[in-house]
Amino acid sequence: MALLGQLASPSSWPTSWPQRAPFLGGGDQTVHAWQRYHVRYYSMTLLFIAFEMEMMFMYPWAVVFVAEGMKAMVEMGMFLAILSVGIVYGWREGIFRWQ
Amino acid sequence: MAMTALARMAARAPVPVFVATGQGWLASCRNLAASVDVAVVTNIREAAILIVAGEPRDEDRDALRRLHDQMPHPRATAWWGARPFAEAGSAIEVSATDDPGPLLRSAFAALLARVRESEPDWLPDDPPNPWQGEGDHGQGGKGMMGGTPYGRPMAMTADDLRDGLALDSFTFTIGPFYPSLPPGLALELTLQGDVIQSARVVRPPLDPGEDAAGACRSMTVGRMLRLLELDALARRCEAVPVEDRDAVNGLKRWIGASCAMRAIPKGLGRLAGDDARARFTRMVAALGDAEASSIAGPGGRLVDLLPGLEWNEALLVINSFSHRDLVALAPREMEQEEDSEGSAEQREGHGI
Repeated sequence: MALLGQLASPSSWPTSWPQRAPFLGGGDQTVHAWQRYHVRYYSMTLLFIAFEMEMMFMYPWAVVFVAEGMKAMVEMGMFLAILSVGIVYGWREGIFRWQ
Repeated sequence: MAMTALARMAARAPVPVFVATGQGWLASCRNLAASVDVAVVTNIREAAILIVAGEPRDEDRDALRRLHDQMPHPRATAWWGARPFAEAGSAIEVSATDDPGPLLRSAFAALLARVRESEPDWLPDDPPNPWQGEGDHGQGGKGMMGGTPYGRPMAMTADDLRDGLALDSFTFTIGPFYPSLPPGLALELTLQGDVIQSARVVRPPLDPGEDAAGACRSMTVGRMLRLLELDALARRCEAVPVEDRDAVNGLKRWIGASCAMRAIPKGLGRLAGDDARARFTRMVAALGDAEASSIAGPGGRLVDLLPGLEWNEALLVINSFSHRDLVALAPREMEQEEDSEGSAEQREGHGI
């Protein structure tokens, strides 16, 4: 597509320095755009991973549960206990509060 | 040959124009938006012709130069009731009383057919901030902080309003020709991520005067509808003849049916007991009224309402005020960093 666009363009105008500026309605930026900011949804992503891992283990576990019996039950209990620590931590951090 | 056919087809379309409004031209620009000859675009990158409607304020001249140079080629500038800049070259001049539509059409066709030369830049083609960093790669300073890569200072840390977390804050000026803001309004904003930390009025909105009250109201409602992603309604609002009561009432019904009011968060931008939703509802109800709405004495400052808001919320708050109210709420602030903009000295650096 880029090649077609280039071919379709009968002549090209060089891109100048003033053209490269971001469109701010005539405004200008004071500082460099390279900057660090806080990804505030990170705690929500951690919660998502906690639940996702739970399901990833639960599906195969459900297949072998009848055959394995109590051993599988204990393993799942341990797994859920570890995951719950993450969820409780998230709860403490306030990720269940919708803002 | 194929390109010639394509150019002919393109020339039949409405001319994509970006309008830079000057003092006293708000009503005329509203009429232009209703014209079938042009399609008013909201980004200079989509425009082929920049229309300078009315004399720009002296302090807006450098902003206009920056705006012009961001327009893609082939491009032209039409000066509608304004004197062209010395560097404008072969300008399209339209007298204040003429309809610019036919002239714009012919200029657009000439541009596409290569009969008319595309305008060169008005600013020098130099890096706006020449490389001044220290070290082999211009990184300068210590660690990630300090230095001036590309000659522009790095963002420095500041406490976030929400939780005091010190991360980089981003400061920029937006306007006076930004289509989501009232014409003339230029703000200096400092953001942390997407939340405004501080705001300052660099230039106040253009004074609409008494005659343009009705036009300004429909333009403000149009901007608000566009912010709410209701582009078709916004175009209709900007084009509806304000004296046609049936058309205006039909438009009001459509706006009500679109639930546009409900899309504005309740309690947003509360001032003098009214929030943005209430102000917008009142403004829609007053569509078609020619007389200027009196300033109900909201008595506050626009810049005090903006900190803590996200960018889209801030635009909703700004556009929920009538143009006249905004003139009162956003006066020019005293601590101007604006030096003598418009001077040749300033243009040399063109501070992009």
